[in-house]
Amino acid sequence: MREADEQYFETLETQLEAAFDVAERAKERGGDPKPEVEIPTARDMADRVENILGIDGVAERVRELEGQMSREEAALELVEDFVEGTVGDYDSREGKVEGAVRTAVALLTEGVVAAPIEGIDRVELLENDDGTEFINVYYAGPIRSAGGTAQALSVLVADYARALLGIDQYKARDDEIGRYAEEIDLYDKDTGLQYSPKEKETKFIAEHMPIMLDGEATGDEEVSGYRDLERVDSNSPRGGMCLVLAEGIALKAPKIQRYTRNLDEVDWPWLQDLIDGTIGKDEADEGDGAEDANDDDGGDGADDDGGDEADEQAGPPRVEPADKYLRDLIAGRPVFSHPSKAGGFRLRYGRSRNHGFATAGVHPATMHLVDDFLATGTQIKTERPGKAAGVVPVDTIEGPTVRLANGDVRRIDDAEEALAVRNGVEKILDLGEYLVNYGEFVENNHPLAPASYTVEWWEQDLAAAGADVQAMQDSPHIDLADPSAEEAIEWATDYDAPLHPKYTYLWHDVSIEQVCALADAVEDAQVAQADGAYADPEMDGTAGDAHSDDGALVLPRSDAVQQTLERLLIGHTQDEDTITVTDWVPLVRTLGFSRSLERDWTREDLSEHARTYGESESLDAIGVAEDAEREDGQNAIKAINEVAPFQVRERAPTRIGNRMGRPEKSERRDLSPAVHTLSPIGEAGGAQRDVAKATKHADDMSDTPGQVEVEVARRRCPDCGTETHQANCAECSGTTEPVYVCPDCEAEVERDESGRAECGRCETLASPTQYKVLDLQEAYRDALQNVGERETAFEQLKAVKGLTSEEKVPEPMEKGILRAKHDVSAFKDGTVRYDMTDLPVTAVRASELDVSAERLRGLGYTEDIHGDPLTHEDQLVELKVQDIVLSDGAAEHMLQTARFVDDLLEQYYGLERFYEFDDREDLVGELVFGMAPHTSAATVGRVVGFTSAAVGYAHPYFHAAKRRNCFHPDTRLWYEDENDDWEYGTIEELVESRLDDPQEDDFGTLVQELDGDLTVSSLGENGPCRQPVDAVSKHPAPDHLVEVTVGDRTLRVTPDHTMLRAGPDGIEEVPASDLAAGDDLPAYDGGETTTMTARGEASTAATDGAAPTDTVEAVEYVESDVDHVYCLTVADTHRVAVEGTYVGQCDGDEDCVMLLMDGLLNFSKSYLPNQRGGQMDAPLVMSSRIDPSEIDDEAHNMDIMDAYPREFYEATREMKDPTEVEDVMKIAEETLGTDREYTEFRHTHDTANIAAGPDLSAYKTLGSMEDKMDAQLEISRKLRAVVESDVAERIIEYHFLPDLIGNLRAFSRQEVRCLDCGESFRRAPLTGDCRECGGRVNLTVHEGSVNKYIDTAIRVADEFGARDYTKQRLKILERKIESVFENDHNKQSGIADFM
Amino acid sequence: MPLETPARIVSELASRGYNAEREAVTRIADTRDPSTTLERALETLPDEALKLTTDHVESVVEAIENGEGTSNTEPDRGNETTGAPTQSHPSVSTGTDAASSTEPGASAPPETGGSRDVDTSLRAIDVANDMTGQSTGTGEYSDFVAVFRDRYEKLAGKLRGRVNHRPTNAIENMGGGSDAALIGMVSDIRSTASGHWLVELEDTNGTFPCLVMKDRPIADLVQQLLMDEVIAVEGTLADDAGILFVDSLYFPDVPRTHSPSTADRHVQAALISDVHVGSQEFMEDAWHRFTDWLHTPEAEHVEYLLIAGDMVEGVGIYPEQDKELDIIDIYDQYRAFSEYLKEVPADMEIRMIPGNHDAVRLAEPQPGFDEELRDIMSAHDAQVHSNPSLVTVEGVTVLMYHGVSLDEVIAELPDEEASYEEPHRAMYQLLKKRHVAPQYGGHTRLAPEDRDYLVMEEVPDVFHTGHVHKLGWGEYHNVVALNSGCWQAQTEFQKSVNIDPDAGFAPILDLDTLEMTVRKFS
Repeated sequence: MREADEQYFETLETQLEAAFDVAERAKERGGDPKPEVEIPTARDMADRVENILGIDGVAERVRELEGQMSREEAALELVEDFVEGTVGDYDSREGKVEGAVRTAVALLTEGVVAAPIEGIDRVELLENDDGTEFINVYYAGPIRSAGGTAQALSVLVADYARALLGIDQYKARDDEIGRYAEEIDLYDKDTGLQYSPKEKETKFIAEHMPIMLDGEATGDEEVSGYRDLERVDSNSPRGGMCLVLAEGIALKAPKIQRYTRNLDEVDWPWLQDLIDGTIGKDEADEGDGAEDANDDDGGDGADDDGGDEADEQAGPPRVEPADKYLRDLIAGRPVFSHPSKAGGFRLRYGRSRNHGFATAGVHPATMHLVDDFLATGTQIKTERPGKAAGVVPVDTIEGPTVRLANGDVRRIDDAEEALAVRNGVEKILDLGEYLVNYGEFVENNHPLAPASYTVEWWEQDLAAAGADVQAMQDSPHIDLADPSAEEAIEWATDYDAPLHPKYTYLWHDVSIEQVCALADAVEDAQVAQADGAYADPEMDGTAGDAHSDDGALVLPRSDAVQQTLERLLIGHTQDEDTITVTDWVPLVRTLGFSRSLERDWTREDLSEHARTYGESESLDAIGVAEDAEREDGQNAIKAINEVAPFQVRERAPTRIGNRMGRPEKSERRDLSPAVHTLSPIGEAGGAQRDVAKATKHADDMSDTPGQVEVEVARRRCPDCGTETHQANCAECSGTTEPVYVCPDCEAEVERDESGRAECGRCETLASPTQYKVLDLQEAYRDALQNVGERETAFEQLKAVKGLTSEEKVPEPMEKGILRAKHDVSAFKDGTVRYDMTDLPVTAVRASELDVSAERLRGLGYTEDIHGDPLTHEDQLVELKVQDIVLSDGAAEHMLQTARFVDDLLEQYYGLERFYEFDDREDLVGELVFGMAPHTSAATVGRVVGFTSAAVGYAHPYFHAAKRRNCFHPDTRLWYEDENDDWEYGTIEELVESRLDDPQEDDFGTLVQELDGDLTVSSLGENGPCRQPVDAVSKHPAPDHLVEVTVGDRTLRVTPDHTMLRAGPDGIEEVPASDLAAGDDLPAYDGGETTTMTARGEASTAATDGAAPTDTVEAVEYVESDVDHVYCLTVADTHRVAVEGTYVGQCDGDEDCVMLLMDGLLNFSKSYLPNQRGGQMDAPLVMSSRIDPSEIDDEAHNMDIMDAYPREFYEATREMKDPTEVEDVMKIAEETLGTDREYTEFRHTHDTANIAAGPDLSAYKTLGSMEDKMDAQLEISRKLRAVVESDVAERIIEYHFLPDLIGNLRAFSRQEVRCLDCGESFRRAPLTGDCRECGGRVNLTVHEGSVNKYIDTAIRVADEFGARDYTKQRLKILERKIESVFENDHNKQSGIADFM
Repeated sequence: MPLETPARIVSELASRGYNAEREAVTRIADTRDPSTTLERALETLPDEALKLTTDHVESVVEAIENGEGTSNTEPDRGNETTGAPTQSHPSVSTGTDAASSTEPGASAPPETGGSRDVDTSLRAIDVANDMTGQSTGTGEYSDFVAVFRDRYEKLAGKLRGRVNHRPTNAIENMGGGSDAALIGMVSDIRSTASGHWLVELEDTNGTFPCLVMKDRPIADLVQQLLMDEVIAVEGTLADDAGILFVDSLYFPDVPRTHSPSTADRHVQAALISDVHVGSQEFMEDAWHRFTDWLHTPEAEHVEYLLIAGDMVEGVGIYPEQDKELDIIDIYDQYRAFSEYLKEVPADMEIRMIPGNHDAVRLAEPQPGFDEELRDIMSAHDAQVHSNPSLVTVEGVTVLMYHGVSLDEVIAELPDEEASYEEPHRAMYQLLKKRHVAPQYGGHTRLAPEDRDYLVMEEVPDVFHTGHVHKLGWGEYHNVVALNSGCWQAQTEFQKSVNIDPDAGFAPILDLDTLEMTVRKFS
């Protein structure tokens, strides 16, 4: 480690310690559950791994291997140790395999998840049919948390161990292979897989898998064929196995291949077929199957032959189009380019400074031109090299080329210009360049795709041709990036180098025909005079003069010529008769003309090869051809090289398709409703949980207002013996301790060493809580007094209904008062949090961070990246690894938090103020906690500046991602709308249709307060009831949702969503992630009926007189497929019936940044829900410095070079594997463990501002779903690279049709519901009236909700030219709907037709 | 000279858009040069004619034999024979028109040996329970109530004779410990903590809980119960009269004494289903063999063809179905089906009901085709009734139902009662319950109408279903239950779930004896 780095970390740690001291002093004063700071320092990974596994010697060995190799390699290395017995104490062979597999998973997950323990049940030795032995690995559901790579590698590790131990391979029986296929399909349908392998793929894997994958049954569904197999225990899908096979092996095949290559003992040659995607592709699959095959030959052929016979190839090297990213297209998220389609993004290689992994550099002008749908941080689904990427603005690449309404074509390289011309853009001919770094290809193990011809490559070509490029760079008269036409031609001819990219047009996008037609047009052209006068077409050209090249070339206008120029991306202006091209000399020279517009070639002079080149220019993957007929000779590059006097390279051979994924995010994390204090007030506070209201609440006239019975902790002061529910003793201010009491005999029970408190007499678990009547009035008054605040200091103080933690220790209400005063809210663990989409950045400018150079110098930034002293704001400096850039919203929120913390210290703890900020500049240099997802560890970060983009920029090593919580948009519920109609619809419709005038908090969450006319079914203390909805809201979706299967229904909610569970003591609230199969949920049917699920599983609770319940059949994590989740705020009860089950309303959760002192002071484990998963995303430990070797290796694959070498560019033309050019490239992995591991993250491209482009994606600014969809279709019309009919088709196919079909189905099997008491019935009662109260019963699904989308769908299908097949489906569906809802005897002429 | 089978002639005719009387085809096949005869016959056929009549062929043959180059056209039959197929508004009556028009031709030629002797005047076919064009439900709550009430009333009527029914509200007021009986619709089935069964029965007054003890023999019957079927129970009230302990349990059932009606003459019907035209797996060859066979003497008594749904593969039945379709356009699928139907002897009487792949609503009862589809299905003037329909063929009542509910019956009931291998056993259950799709809210979809068309009010003599693509038949209380296989080879989906369909079978039913013969054509 360099001294500078050491200093940096010491600075951080000193600062941290100072804060720690203050916090410790505060904590000592009591009031908190523990008298000390509850976030300990993290130990290193090796320790964590050993501890989680309980295998001695692992930590030592891991530390040994750590510096030498990657974690994956270390995992494999450890296999040998296990086999040899040097690590672990296993005698049996299966034990050795098991130890190795567990260790591998633990290592790859850094020892922070339970997968290595709970995810692998056991390993066993079984016998093949031929008598040989094989290994069977038995997986369980929690393997999910390991992630695909670790899952896949666990199999590889098992196989490696198997090979070393000399055990035979698994030979799958045919019925077992069939079973795998059926089972994975079933699991996918039932639970959903991130990647659904095709049946053939699954079978292929099953056939070749040298290890048997097995596992526990995780669902109740059963396979219908391939049942009762001898070697498979269950007929239900084995979730763990399905995950490993589909999301591990099938999805991560390229990654595994990287490691199999290094192992002699293990050979999985079949992986290649899997990677190529040749498995499971049906011959008759798509019409363009033949073209695909052709393309394969053309492409891979080039790869194999290494260019020997390059001249003989029928076409240029091209990657195969892939349309996977278009699957499941959703209304409102535009497609920017269809697969590999001309006019789409052009692949340029390089890494911008705000670029690293899973990012894509896009020109800010492009962001504006796609109607602002792209903003910094917007996630896109992309064709290659990965699946998804976050968009970052890079303005040193080429911008989009557009045709304006007047026919002029020009490239827009400036965001301002883009905004200026946006309204006049008729067609976006080209989206501009798309910057992807080499590391992204390494990370995804994707073969290199042919590179665009760019200045950085050309310079090296020029140098290779013998020019003194260094001298030219130094010359003040030469701009290598932007030469004049004369210079460009001179260099090309003098040095025999390829023509400069600036004048290299996209000849590969036009056909021989078009080139010949263009040449003919040039023959008829004239050159306008250099004085800028408008060219007179009548004037005879005296323009043969060699000096008139400053003038303009005037071509006779024809559609063909115009189209050719547009495809070549040659800017021009036009009027009715002419097309005018300036800077035209390189164009005519390339076309084989002299300056005097004479040519010495004809079409016949072209070689046969040139004339037929490009036959394999395939159709798009989606099967839509731009031209009606495609013939040979689609690529004119060979012909051009034959007629041009110099070499012309392919300008942009690789186009990358993509579409919008999720929008970017930057918002405060509030529970819903926002909570200021974690102290319980029961139902007294109403839906808002208003403490002031609760103090005045009384159930009836005889009650004293403010008396509320809640379940709270039972504690006692060890010093004075005072009993209380508070964490500190009111008498002597000591910290109290929990008292466990047996619920049966009421005896006090001591906890044993493991923390369990079991009553010795009754053998029941003792409880540390009690039901107690609290006097809220007194508590509130005391709290106000304690902190010296008046009620007018804040608008409203919101508390929680009840506590979910084990001991139920309430938070001091004083903290809440101060939070309310500063408008910040508490997360479930007591901290104040802010969420941001994370983007990487490795070098920053003071100017773009809104800080002064001096301030940066104060933070240790003494030099810029070139080693010059930092003096100006616009100098680039290398970002230090733990420094982060806050979004404006985050900064504002941190300021509020700081003021809260200061008040808290001063008014509550009686200490000095700590922060004393005046404005946000003071935040610079302050420490925060950053939380990575799925972990329980926080990382200390330091604020270095601010950005207007709605993202958090940080060093790639400080990278984190996000999740969030609510209902899936398709969740259905019953509600009575403002017109008193009972409706059954999705929560999405319910919320979207009411977001009329939403308050948008600064960070994108839309909240609409309602006046209570909308009611839903709910479950109060006294059973089912109806409750008004106070507010509806909409939140960006997390990456994962929890899918709870109850009976035949599934409910998808965010993992921390509060669910209601029938416990021994009645209904309890638990996060969805804590539900398990077998739990009973209160059923929405209510009354005495419950839905019969399957016989025997039907709940028995009802006969015992308790509330009816449904049994949870399965709980699974599924990847979120939506952008938003939706919430309702239900008055009083905060519960709502959806999908036949009562649940709590939505809560937020997630990870984020927290202000350091807030975390230290306010976090307590005691507040965390006590169930499994409750401790996830809570800062249980903290790392004060980042060890680059211990972070996810995705960041290690980032390249850190100034420029890519010429060999790299040449290799892309051969589509080599990224590992083949490893030697000439430099990635971060190379510096690990060296002095340079924290520095020298060089980039190839700069960008003026890391927040360029729109601040927010249009997706977030547009209102309704329909608005978004219209905008999406609008943009698809404008983009040349997009086939609008395909977009419409996909929206219909994936959005409208499922909705229509689903609703129609729902109608004909719907439940009915009492309007008066809310009771619902599986079927209409024979009496017609409510069985419970005799009230009016009505349907839950009405005609209106069934046919809602049909007209829109038909309109879109017609307007945007959907296939006849789709139109017909809609037509038939419309008739089916009519057939159900129309009386044949009394047909109406369809009023819907006119709406 | 190639041997011309009747089917080949028919398909030749079909390819040119003609239909033909069976006799005419036989006549052509019997000539020395069938192709010439056929050519000549078609040349001389009047322009507006769509059907080749025997008389016309006769005249052509005569003309050829007389050495005349061209015969004079023989139009006098033309007017009559063209009528039916070109009707733009087919109605029930046209069926009989068409039948009568073939009558003279059919009885005329005694000399065509080997051909069947069809006397269509002996035919009698009658259809009941057809709700096509009678759908009055508008999707209101009251429609749902009406349909379930109708079900209850109809099925309770079957049970009233067996128990002394007391309404639920009356039972509530009876003394504890007394005997009581109740007819009710099953509204809930649960097992209690101790393993007994709690069945909640509902009548038009309310609900009442009935407990079936697990050690009683009738506990097994609970396993056979489906939601929303109507049963009767007898037993003893608990002391507080809050629950009924069930001693015996009755289904509406088919009486054991049921004696089926039969036809007065030897005549047969072919009962098939699930043709799936338009699917890549449609077994065209098997179908050709089947229709060829219908032209043989062996099949001369097969005068009726009943098809229990899924005539075509349909569109949009499952995601990305278009990739497995041979014919992507739904109307083209029906056109193709109509062409295949033309291979069937022209004098056959054809009756069909829609299935879940057909282009009508999925919710049951499904109406027959709308006008647009009927216009396409011009061949044979085939009639499409609603699903389900009760078709009485020469006295034999055939309940035609497509069979979507079989999936649910098989899923819900124990394997020994109902399985895909023995689909007819699942049908027995439906006969026992006297309802084709009792369970509401699950797999089967319901479109509420003014009454429950799905109830088996009358005991059929034959119960004919399809849908599950398995062949199976048997007798239940003298009712023939038949699930008739399919004409679609194993699909990718079926392969993936290990279902092996019985494809290319044609069950032939003797209407005079109700004997069944299954012929294999695959």
